[in-house]
Amino acid sequence: MSEHSKKNLIQMKNVDKYFGEFQALKNINLEVQRKERIVICGPSGSGKSTLIRCLNRLEKHNKGQVYIDGKELTDQIKDINAVRREVGMVFQSFNLFPHMTVVKNLMVAQQLVRKISKADAKQSAMHFLERVKIPEQANKYPIQLSGGQQQRVAIARALCMKPKIMLFDEPTSALDPEMINEVLEVMVDLANDGMTMICVTHEMGFARSVADRIIFMDLGEIVEESKPSEFFDNPKNERTKNFLQQILTH
Amino acid sequence: MIVDYTLIAESLPVMLKGIGITFQLLFISGFLGLILAIFLLLMRLSGKWYLSFPAQVYIYIFRGTPILVQIFIIYYGLPQFGFIRSSIFWPILREPMGCAIVALSLNTGAYVSEILRGGVLAVGKGLIEAGSALGMSAYQKFVYITAPIATRIALPAYSNDVISLLKSTALASTITIADMTGIARTIVANTYAPYEIFISLAIVYLIFTFILQKSFGYLEQYLGRYTKREE
Amino acid sequence: MAALNGWWDDYFWGAFVIFQVFFCSLGFMIIFGLLGAIAKLSGNKVAHRVANAYTVAFRGTPEILVILLMYFGAAIFLTSVAQIFNPEAKFIDIPPFWAGTIAISLIVGSYATETFRGAFLGVNPGSIEAAKALGMSDVQTFIYIRIPEMWRIALPPFGNHMLSLIKDTALISIIGLNETMFVAKQAITVTGKPFTMYIVVGAIYLGFSTVVTLSVMGLEKFGERTTVGAK
Repeated sequence: MSEHSKKNLIQMKNVDKYFGEFQALKNINLEVQRKERIVICGPSGSGKSTLIRCLNRLEKHNKGQVYIDGKELTDQIKDINAVRREVGMVFQSFNLFPHMTVVKNLMVAQQLVRKISKADAKQSAMHFLERVKIPEQANKYPIQLSGGQQQRVAIARALCMKPKIMLFDEPTSALDPEMINEVLEVMVDLANDGMTMICVTHEMGFARSVADRIIFMDLGEIVEESKPSEFFDNPKNERTKNFLQQILTH
Repeated sequence: MIVDYTLIAESLPVMLKGIGITFQLLFISGFLGLILAIFLLLMRLSGKWYLSFPAQVYIYIFRGTPILVQIFIIYYGLPQFGFIRSSIFWPILREPMGCAIVALSLNTGAYVSEILRGGVLAVGKGLIEAGSALGMSAYQKFVYITAPIATRIALPAYSNDVISLLKSTALASTITIADMTGIARTIVANTYAPYEIFISLAIVYLIFTFILQKSFGYLEQYLGRYTKREE
Repeated sequence: MAALNGWWDDYFWGAFVIFQVFFCSLGFMIIFGLLGAIAKLSGNKVAHRVANAYTVAFRGTPEILVILLMYFGAAIFLTSVAQIFNPEAKFIDIPPFWAGTIAISLIVGSYATETFRGAFLGVNPGSIEAAKALGMSDVQTFIYIRIPEMWRIALPPFGNHMLSLIKDTALISIIGLNETMFVAKQAITVTGKPFTMYIVVGAIYLGFSTVVTLSVMGLEKFGERTTVGAK
């Protein structure tokens, strides 16, 4: 099946996911096209993180199919790392490698996974560090950077792999309020450049201005899915209405 | 009570002749034990029961029995078997030094593998996930992420084990080896001056312990340089 | 295996000696450890220095050396004291059981000092403040709040200390304690089967280690009932 003929970059069909007895994902159906910007929101425990972690197989789905760029995610190892090269992930707790400098953090996967030469990797690293506006931090260790800076480095690290898709798992939830904007700015930039992205977040301002589609999840199900204008002004489902009330009144 | 300083002055050089043996025991057993520990660690982490289980049993036995018993089993016990005496290992196992090094290595290997395992388990899960998300293979994640961080975390406990190993070398004196303790015991048997001899010997060991601790302290600082905020 | 016939009851009594040493040394170890910890935690500079000297001395000296020193040294000491009163007095012995028990209690006690000290420091200061706010006296706070919480924290490393006590007991055979190693030595001269005899010793010690380890695991579970909350 040619990758170019597949319109959908991401496809999830009837996906279920269990943690022991507990069902985290119930019958998830999702299609994402190239250049689409999706925001997933919902209360804690709704399965949002689990959903995107199934897309790079950090979690394994139990039932249904997951396709990334036409390739189905199964247990064959070669497939998994090939897919992961194309899917970038940014974590809530940044997860920068503490024992490597910022620039080494950006270079290590390029060299090991994409087999890029050291010189090229460094060039690429500095390019993306400039993109996220902190090239001067290149030789520092992560612990010497602020939270906002660390998260921007994490975004740059994912971008260095030139992924087709970027997944963001609550990227600003662990940041002090004054640092949230610097990270959101980078993400908006990325969106404007045409990156396909799925973002789990509570930042509704970001959602409203950037997202093509907003997905609301609750108790493991996709409850509602619509464009931002409809989503915020005209939510259809009761649960969506309740959630929006709680989130928007503070 | 009068302290016989001349006795100390005469005996110390004699005891220090045993330093070479003590160091051999410490460094050779330490090195071999570390290699063994890494093997055991990989067996434990392999996820395959036929590798993990034997490693666990080995560790359990060697950590659950006194090292003196292990030394005696190897030195006194193994010659009981004909197949040992005619094997290629016999030249090593016939000698007290060979037996002592084998026993100390086998013992420290078990302890150190648990220490290394503790270090590996302490590496933040998120860091491994970041490696996975970047497409790194299991081997790459272990070598470039887990191992460097685990080494730094495990270092304090490892340094304690090296000091324990130093103290265990004194047990070689029970199987006729003339390390510092062995020589000391002979002197005491002749002179009946346990205080002077044993206390001065203890001070020698304390000095070595101090040197080891300081060295590991510097190593810990060097490895931990990325954990400090200030440049 | 037939060689063991007739030796089982000797081994049994040897094991009983291990059991006795364990309980006596356990008590002393706790006392030495608590005293050391309290000394280090108090503001008192002298107490601090003494406790520090204690931990450094006993953590850096080989166990066998401490045992030899305690045994021979105490004998010399007591003999010279006795000769002050009665010049005809011959050699006064201190039984290996007590020399060894005190020796290993002092050694493991020096490690326990650090364990208890760390555990006391690990008690939640909020709990102490709450107790004070409720009007509890210092003594009451110590007994009802500090000690229970300290034990819960100290339990895992304390389990290791208990294992050390058990294993160090084998070393006391060097000064003639009639436990299993000693039994094995005699059995070997009669049966000529050193491997078999020492393996039994190993198995007995392994048995004791297992019982202690399981008990500590059970106690840990019991302690956890107050900290592992509902999900």
